[in-house]
Amino acid sequence: MTSRSLTGTLRGVIPRSLADRLGWLGAGIVAFLLGTAVFAPVLAPFDPAERVARPFLAPSADHLLGTNDVGQDLLSELIYGTRVSLTVGIVAAVVAMVIGTTVGLIAGYYPKRLGSVLMRFVDVVLILPFLPLLIVLAAYLGRSLTNTIVVIGVLIWAAPARIIRSQVLSLRSREYVLASRSMGAKDRWVIMRHILPRTALLATGSFVRAVSGAILLEAALSFLGLGDPIQKSWGSTLFWAQSRGAFLTPAWKWWVLPPGLAIMAASLGFALIAFAVEERINPKL
Amino acid sequence: MRLRSRAAILLLVMSLIAVACSSETTDTTASGDEPTATTAVDGSTDETSAPETTAAPSEEPITVRAAVTGGEDTLNPYTYVSGFPGWNLLMLQYDSLMQFDAAGEPQPWLAESVEPNDDLTEWTITLVDGVTFNDGEPLTVDDVEFTFDYFVEKAAGRFARDLRGVESVTTDGDRTITVNLDAPNPAFELVALADIPIIPQHIWSEVDNPEEYQFDSVTNVGSGPFVLVDYVEDQSYRFEANPDYFRGAPTVDELVVVVFADDSGPLAAIRSGEIDVIFERISPEQIELLDAADPIDVVQGPEFTTQMINFDVSKAPFDDVAVRQAISLAVDRQDIVDTVFLGAATVGSPGWVHPDKAVYNPAVAADQDLEAANALLDEAGYTDTDGDGIREFDGAPMSFEMLTNSSDSLRLRISELVSEMLAEVGIQVNVASVETATWEEAVWPGFDIANGRNYQMAAWGWSAPIQANTIRVAELVHGDPSIGFLNLTGFSNPEVDALAAQLLTEADEAAAAQAIGELQVLIADLVPFVLLAYPDGAYAYNSATYDGWEFIAGQGIVSKVSLLDPSARP
Repeated sequence: MTSRSLTGTLRGVIPRSLADRLGWLGAGIVAFLLGTAVFAPVLAPFDPAERVARPFLAPSADHLLGTNDVGQDLLSELIYGTRVSLTVGIVAAVVAMVIGTTVGLIAGYYPKRLGSVLMRFVDVVLILPFLPLLIVLAAYLGRSLTNTIVVIGVLIWAAPARIIRSQVLSLRSREYVLASRSMGAKDRWVIMRHILPRTALLATGSFVRAVSGAILLEAALSFLGLGDPIQKSWGSTLFWAQSRGAFLTPAWKWWVLPPGLAIMAASLGFALIAFAVEERINPKL
Repeated sequence: MRLRSRAAILLLVMSLIAVACSSETTDTTASGDEPTATTAVDGSTDETSAPETTAAPSEEPITVRAAVTGGEDTLNPYTYVSGFPGWNLLMLQYDSLMQFDAAGEPQPWLAESVEPNDDLTEWTITLVDGVTFNDGEPLTVDDVEFTFDYFVEKAAGRFARDLRGVESVTTDGDRTITVNLDAPNPAFELVALADIPIIPQHIWSEVDNPEEYQFDSVTNVGSGPFVLVDYVEDQSYRFEANPDYFRGAPTVDELVVVVFADDSGPLAAIRSGEIDVIFERISPEQIELLDAADPIDVVQGPEFTTQMINFDVSKAPFDDVAVRQAISLAVDRQDIVDTVFLGAATVGSPGWVHPDKAVYNPAVAADQDLEAANALLDEAGYTDTDGDGIREFDGAPMSFEMLTNSSDSLRLRISELVSEMLAEVGIQVNVASVETATWEEAVWPGFDIANGRNYQMAAWGWSAPIQANTIRVAELVHGDPSIGFLNLTGFSNPEVDALAAQLLTEADEAAAAQAIGELQVLIADLVPFVLLAYPDGAYAYNSATYDGWEFIAGQGIVSKVSLLDPSARP
C-alpha cells in the first residue's frame, strides 16, 4: 500500500503541471516502446529465433548486445521482446478491467447482500499471498502466452473492483439516478446509461496502472521459468541468462541489464501515465 | 498497490543479485554474498582453525573444503539423500567389496578376489586380511553376510534392490563368502559388489529401526578412509582421515563439505578461494571461465548420462521405420554438442553404447544427411501435398508435439534445435515445456510401461547407471515388458528381443561382446529412439590446495579414490 499513500502525499505537493510533465514523459516512453513493438521486424538486425553466430559472444559491431547461449542475437531478442511484454501487459490489464469493472458495478449498485458478498470475495482475493499463488497457478495451468495472460488477469482485478465500487456507491445515490429509477427505469438501463459512463474515466487510470503491474508480473513469471520459455520476452531472456550462468560472468552487462532496464522503462512509462491521469480524474476528498 | 510494490521488490532483488554477482566476477577476492554459504563457511573455518589430525606430522596437514548443493542428512546408508553426491560421500566412510577404477570397471577392494562360476550364479569372494573398522574391530566375513541380510531385511531402498536375486549367502567362517543367485547375472559386480557399503555387525545388530536411529561418534563407524566427525544440519560435514586405512592413509587429512543452497554459490566461492572443489558437475558455459581463472582447474570425463529423443513407436507415423530413420538422419548431433554443450559432450551413438565403452561397435556412426532423410520420407510416401513446407501422412500434416521438462534448460535448448533440424526435412515439431511430473507421467506413466504412453515425441534422458552397465540396453529395447521394463517407446522386434535376452544371461564374455555388437547395429538401423549426446562431466577444483582428483568414468571425481595415494588406487 506504500505506493498509494505515496501518490496521496505527492498529490498535495507536486503542482499539476509537474504531474502533467511526468505523464507526458511516460507517454513518450510508452509511444517509443509501442513503435519498437510495431516495427520490430524492421528494427531488429536478425530473426531472434535464428542461430546467427557462435553462442556466448560478447558485444561486437555485428551483434551490438552479443549472442545468447545458442547463438541468437540478443539485440533482436530485446526488440522482439517488446511485443510480448506489451501484449501481455495490455491484454492482461483488459482482462482484469473487465472482471474488475463488472464486479465493481454490481457490488456498488447492489451494496446490501450481493454487494457485501462480492466485496468479501474481493477482500479474499486482495489478501491472497500474491506471488506464490501466481506461481502455483502458472505451474498448474502450464506454459503458454494465453495462460500467462489469464493468470495475471484473474489475479489483479480486485483493486480496480474496489475503486470502481466506491465510485458507483456514490453515483447510485445521485439525484439524476434516483430520478431515473423513480420513473421506472430498469436497473440494467440505469447501470449502462448513467453509471458505467461515469466510471469509465476512473477505470482508465486503473487500467494504465494494471498494465504497468502486468508487465512486471509477466517478467517475473518468465524469469522464474513459468512463462513460455520459447517465447522471446524480456523475462524469458532473463530466465536463460540466469540458467546459463550469465549472472555470474561479465555477460550480465549485455545479457541481463538491457532486458532489466526495458522492463523498468515499460513499467515506469505506464505508471507515470497512470499517475498523471489519476491526478486529473480521481475524486478529491 | 499490493501487486505493484511486490513486483517492484522482486525487480529490486533481481537487480541487487545482478550487482552482487558482478562484484564477484570483477573482484575475485570478494567474499561470497550468499548468506547460507557465508555462515556455513564461517562455521567450518572455526573448526578447521584447530586441526586435530596428526596423520602427517612432518608436513602441513591438507584440508580440502568441498561444496555440495543440498544437504545429505546424517550420511548413513539409510539417511543419505541423493544418488550423487550423497552415495559418493557415504562411501568415504564405508567400503564395498569392489571399487571402481578410472575406467569405471569394478576391481576387487575389500575383496581380495571375486570368482564367479561358469554360469554366473555362484560368486566366491575372498576378503582381504586384516581390515578393521574405525573403532578397531576387525571386518570379517560375518560382517559381509550380516550386511547382505540386513539390507534385504530392513529394506534399504537402493541396496536392497542391488541384492535382488540373491538366494543365499554362506561363509566358511574364515575369509571366504559364497553368494548364490537365482539366475545368471553378468552385472552382479557392478550393481551389487561395487555399490553396497559393508556395515559393522557389532553395531548394527542392535539397530532395529535404522531410518530413525541416531548414530553418534561412537556408533557411526565404517571401514573407509574417512570418519565423519562433525555434522551441522544443512550447513557442513567434517571428515577426518583414517590414518590406519587398509590401503594406506589418505592424502588429504581433513575434508570439509560445505552445503550450499544453489548452484551459483559454489561458483562464487571457488573463485574467492573459500572452497577448494565443487562436488557437483559444473555447466558447460562455466568450464572455460573457471579453467581460465588461476589456480582453478577443470577435469572432464565421460558421465554416461544420455540426451535422446523418444517417440511412440506403437502409433503412426512412428511405427514406420522410415520415419524414425529419417529423424535420426536429419539431426545434427555434432551441432547439438557444439552449441548446447559447447563441446563438453560426446556425440551420441545411434547404437546406444557410449564410445568409451569396451563393447562399443565403431561400425555404427551417425552423420547428418538431409538428402537421405528427405529421400526416405519421399519414398515412403510422406510428401508435402499442399506446399506449406510440412509433409503429410494420411491427409494430416506431420506436426508433432515434443514434450520436454522445464527444469532442464539444456534439454529445452536441445529440443529447440531438434525442432529446427526436423523442419529442414518437412517435419514440424512444437516444443512443449512442461513440469517434470507432467513430462514423466506422459512418457512413463506411473513408472510402469504397462500403463502405456501419452506422448508423440519427447526429449528424454537416462541416468548414468543405465549406460554404465552395458547389458541394461536389453531393458530399453526388449518387447516383453517384464524384461524391457524401460522400453518407453513401445518398440518391439523379434531379432532384437533374441539378442537382448541372450545378453542378459550370457556367461561367455566373447559371445556377450558379439551379441552387443550386433545389437548396436540393429538399434542403429531400427531406431527405437534417437540418441543425441552423452554430456560429459566437468568438475572444478583449486589445484593449489589439492590436485590428486581422479575422474572415474561414469562416476566423476567424488570418491575415496581421489583422496588416496596413486599407488593405493585400484
